[in-house]
Amino acid sequence: MGPKGGIGMNLIERIMVEPFEKFYEKLLVFLPNLFTSLILLVFGFLLGFFMKWIFMKIFRAINLDGLSQKMGMKDALGRSGFREPLSLILSRILKWFTIITFIIVAMQNLSIPTVEHLIDRMFLYVPNIFTAALILVLGYILGNFFGRAAIIASVNADMKSAGLIGKSVKFIVILLSCTMALEQLGIGKDTIVIAFAIVFGGIIFAFSLAFGLGGKDIAKGYMDRKLKKESNEDEMDHL
Amino acid sequence: MHSVIWPDSLGDYIKSIKSADILVGIPSYNNAKTIGHVVRAVQGGFAKYFPEKKTVLVNSDGGSTDGTMEVVQDATIDSFQSILLSHKVNPFVKIATPYHGIPGKGSAFRRIFEIADYLQIKACAVVDSDLRSITPEWIELLIKPVLEGEFDYVAPLYQRHKYDGTITNSIVYPLTRALYGKRVRQPIGGDFGFSGRLAKYFLSEDVWETDVARYGIDIWMTTTAIANNFKICQSYLGAKIHDPKDPGADLSAMLYQVVGSTFDLMDTYSDVWKNVSKSEPVPTFGFRYDVGLEPVTVNLERMIDRFCLGVQELGFVWKDILPRSLFNFFKDISTASCPQDFIIPDDVWVDTIFSFALATHRKVINREHLLRSLTPLYIGRVASFVVDTINSNAVEVEEKIEVLCTAFERKKTVLLSEWDRKGV
Repeated sequence: MGPKGGIGMNLIERIMVEPFEKFYEKLLVFLPNLFTSLILLVFGFLLGFFMKWIFMKIFRAINLDGLSQKMGMKDALGRSGFREPLSLILSRILKWFTIITFIIVAMQNLSIPTVEHLIDRMFLYVPNIFTAALILVLGYILGNFFGRAAIIASVNADMKSAGLIGKSVKFIVILLSCTMALEQLGIGKDTIVIAFAIVFGGIIFAFSLAFGLGGKDIAKGYMDRKLKKESNEDEMDHL
Repeated sequence: MHSVIWPDSLGDYIKSIKSADILVGIPSYNNAKTIGHVVRAVQGGFAKYFPEKKTVLVNSDGGSTDGTMEVVQDATIDSFQSILLSHKVNPFVKIATPYHGIPGKGSAFRRIFEIADYLQIKACAVVDSDLRSITPEWIELLIKPVLEGEFDYVAPLYQRHKYDGTITNSIVYPLTRALYGKRVRQPIGGDFGFSGRLAKYFLSEDVWETDVARYGIDIWMTTTAIANNFKICQSYLGAKIHDPKDPGADLSAMLYQVVGSTFDLMDTYSDVWKNVSKSEPVPTFGFRYDVGLEPVTVNLERMIDRFCLGVQELGFVWKDILPRSLFNFFKDISTASCPQDFIIPDDVWVDTIFSFALATHRKVINREHLLRSLTPLYIGRVASFVVDTINSNAVEVEEKIEVLCTAFERKKTVLLSEWDRKGV
């Protein structure tokens, strides 16, 4: 074979064979990772289902659903469109948390730089998401609790606007939790805090004005009743 | 083991007394205007009926700022001849001391029990500090059944205006009677006699951080005495007239503490009341006579308005507590056009109270929310009672209360069947 034939062969080798050889070498490195990732994925799904099953048992053993009903969470969830019991919802969350964790680990195991970088950034942000979610859930529960307490107290104090007071208390607590959650996520940090301060301050200011100007007679009547015994007050001794 | 912490000077003083036969306790908080009369009545009672006994008066005060304790120290009967006493009278010991712990009547009683226990008292009594109708005879009637009749607990029996004692008449008396089978007419009367043995038992119970430390003390004492088979009786004391109530007193808090304590005791003594199927009268002492009572003003329209506000706003709370049929009934009655049509029948009221008792037992929602949401319904029932008895005399009113008690006793089987069932 002449020199021309040798050059041709080298060229074909460099253009065609070498990339394939490199691809083959990379494939040899990548395939075990892919295989491991697939195993991790399957294991993650199985573990996820197991977690759901075992936590359902635990939650039922500690009567979590009864507790959630007592604390008003069942109602709160129902109003938000969740008809399932809290034990099932939490078990499902844990199942998907396990599965997603394994998906992320499986993806990282593939050693693809872009994916790794994205996952790193996501991992750094995940705690913020969880904290924000927790703040929102707690805010919703506390909003319902304090709203209910306020409406009962207002009814017992014979305040005609009891419903409005209860809803306002609930709204303010939930609004506060939303602000805190958004701040935790780093979304419009200063804007949110300022907006909340304006809204909250505005509400208080509006109430002050309304009570001071529009409701001065009511305020006077109320103070009169408190300081002097109202003539049409019941004189019953309940005990 | 319960340990008592006395203020330094009080500890020395009590140690110097060593022991006594009879103790009368007066809980107080800013009662300077009325407590002097109560102290003199107690002193008169000691002198007239127990001249040979060693007697102690204890004022347990909640931090009064109007000089209540000074009034107690200064109050005395100047001349025993004015109450027709000629025999020699032993001097009595007077102690005025502040109590510690949760502010409330129960904490004041605890201090009284502690002193009674330390002095190995044979018979005790407690009387309210705002009484205007107390006489020396009250002390005899509360103490003698213990000293001479070997009773452990003496409940009061009063003649009261038909619109007085409405929590007693509509909830506590019928419910306690149906549950524990003893017809103690004034289970939360406020003035009781009891043995030293029972005072020691009260003191040994771990309840002093609960509502028992507040308004819950009266029903707790009565129920504890009945459920633990102490010997019970009641004494007729005549009219109960006391200082006008504090206009700022929160009905909702009062109802919450009294009814909450009653419901808690249902849990504590479920094994006792489940085995009781009918009620029986308890021995009654004292000479019965009719007395004129001060009129009581009621504002029916305002009460109905408060009930309607509750129905309008608290439906979302009650739906977890009341059966739908009851809730619908309350909704219908809230639209009644004429106050004269505003009647909550006995059966509906019994079902309501049993539903709240079951909901508290099952911890359906937060306990305080649950019990405080009862207030508008209670006010509605009082309004209905006013409508129903507007032209009734005392005897007729008592007959109506008897009918309500019968309804509670009849429907107890429903409560029993539901008590151990889970869920709403």
